[in-house]
Amino acid sequence: MNSPPFIKDPKKQLPFALGSPALLWQVLFFYIPLALITVSGFLKVSELGAFEGFSLENFRLFFSPVYLKTILASLILGLSNTILCFAIAFPLAYFMAFTGRKHKNTLLFFLIVPFWTNFLLHVYAWFYVLEKHGFLNNLLIKLGIIGEPLQLLNSPLAIMIMMVYYYLPFMVLPIYSSLERFNESLLEASYDLGGNFQTTLRKVLFPLTSRGIKAGVFLVYIPSFAEFAIPELMGGDKKMFVGNVISTFILGEGTGSLGAAFTLLSGLILLLSAVGLYYLLTWILEPGGKHG
Amino acid sequence: MDNSKSLGRILSLCVVAFAYLFLYVPIFVLLVFSFNTNQFPAPWSSFTLDWYRELFQSSYLWKSFSNSLIVATSATAISLGAGIGLVFYAASGGKIGKFMGMFYGNLVIPETVLAVSLLSLFTLIDIPLGLTTLILAHSVLGLGFVIPIVYARYRELDYNLTEASFALGATPLQTFFKVTLPLLRPSLVTTALLVFIISFDDFILSYFCAGSSSQTLSLYILSMIRTGVSPVVNALSSVLLFLSSLLVLFFFSLKTRVRIF
Repeated sequence: MNSPPFIKDPKKQLPFALGSPALLWQVLFFYIPLALITVSGFLKVSELGAFEGFSLENFRLFFSPVYLKTILASLILGLSNTILCFAIAFPLAYFMAFTGRKHKNTLLFFLIVPFWTNFLLHVYAWFYVLEKHGFLNNLLIKLGIIGEPLQLLNSPLAIMIMMVYYYLPFMVLPIYSSLERFNESLLEASYDLGGNFQTTLRKVLFPLTSRGIKAGVFLVYIPSFAEFAIPELMGGDKKMFVGNVISTFILGEGTGSLGAAFTLLSGLILLLSAVGLYYLLTWILEPGGKHG
Repeated sequence: MDNSKSLGRILSLCVVAFAYLFLYVPIFVLLVFSFNTNQFPAPWSSFTLDWYRELFQSSYLWKSFSNSLIVATSATAISLGAGIGLVFYAASGGKIGKFMGMFYGNLVIPETVLAVSLLSLFTLIDIPLGLTTLILAHSVLGLGFVIPIVYARYRELDYNLTEASFALGATPLQTFFKVTLPLLRPSLVTTALLVFIISFDDFILSYFCAGSSSQTLSLYILSMIRTGVSPVVNALSSVLLFLSSLLVLFFFSLKTRVRIF
């Protein structure tokens, strides 16, 4: 193993000016905005928008059942989306990496094409499927399963379908890339030693692909907790999630600090739940310690 | 134990079939209706290309399409340029290794939070919302991809090549352009493509940071969806799906082992 190609001779060091734009950019447009939203959550402003000092006033509004329910709804949305995505993504990634390896390029191609196409078009496509006279209702009526068309749009079901549809590749790709590096003979060994499918999954497959699974889980869980476009477009205005509350307050007239406070509050809950999820995953996926 | 093994196989085959049906049924229905004379929900009547004609005549569409191209190209250029600069500064021995971690947050925090924070900065310092603010926002997201991926790739390079270049009398800058950059080119191309597509398809940052005067493709599609079902959107979808299949094919043809995640 060679050492990484870092030059040790100080005379050969390139000027700091080369590295500074990225650092400057990052501070100006990432850390300062984040600091700003943090500070403005604690601001007290008059009705005319004048600065009046700092307080915790903004947060008080949100300790009411309505907003706590919103946060709970987002937690449930994030977790159920993560679980559903995993339930589909793991067998899919497994198939791409082992059983259907010959077709992996085709499968990957057809997975990534929709992923790289504007997601609003997929929202639009699902209207055609879920509409009252849409594809799914027509199909179910023709098959004689239902008599009357179902109300599928503007429902929690529609939100869930669209969430899984959009986030599925985020779960498949990291799991696939960790399975791809996985040595299949380890599975054979496990079966040869008398392990059944469940044992092999829990004792061999999960521990050795735990990194990919964790990456997938967080790539899905974090943005789905804060998602606001899909609930708004697929759920009508019946259900409120964290993302919708944030965007309503932030874009509203004079409610910016309230929006900032709610962003902080829900951000904190997201962080805590993500940490909890991390330990839970470690406990489930890596019984008996770390493997990689 | 063959039973449980084949059970696993059958199960995973079912899931695969289900997943691809799930992914492609809506797309298929959408495409079919882009060639239908009647508007949805009327059933199929006859084949037409009228919606495509209407699409290519819509000046709004082309305006928003070119806006999205401008934003995606600039954001890619900025994040790639700044990112490469930093990686090379670090590579030349700049004591910055610890600071590389500060770019990992860009992808971890929810985009909604980033969008809202940037919006409050733009409001505070009174930058009018428009393409500029959008480019700034997307380039921050871009840095979150460029720096971790390129830096990780850089650390895998063989130091002997750099050393050989110095031994043969090349200056650090010559080494950079003639040795390191060519070695990194595949990962730079893939990262650039990735940032471009993410910016081009982005909705959340555009929704908050574009303002009302400048429309990107996402915002144009949003306004079309809100005004109801129109076969022109179907026609647009098939054009965009075609374009992204070309991009994915290009991506595959690079054959680099840069993992997307």
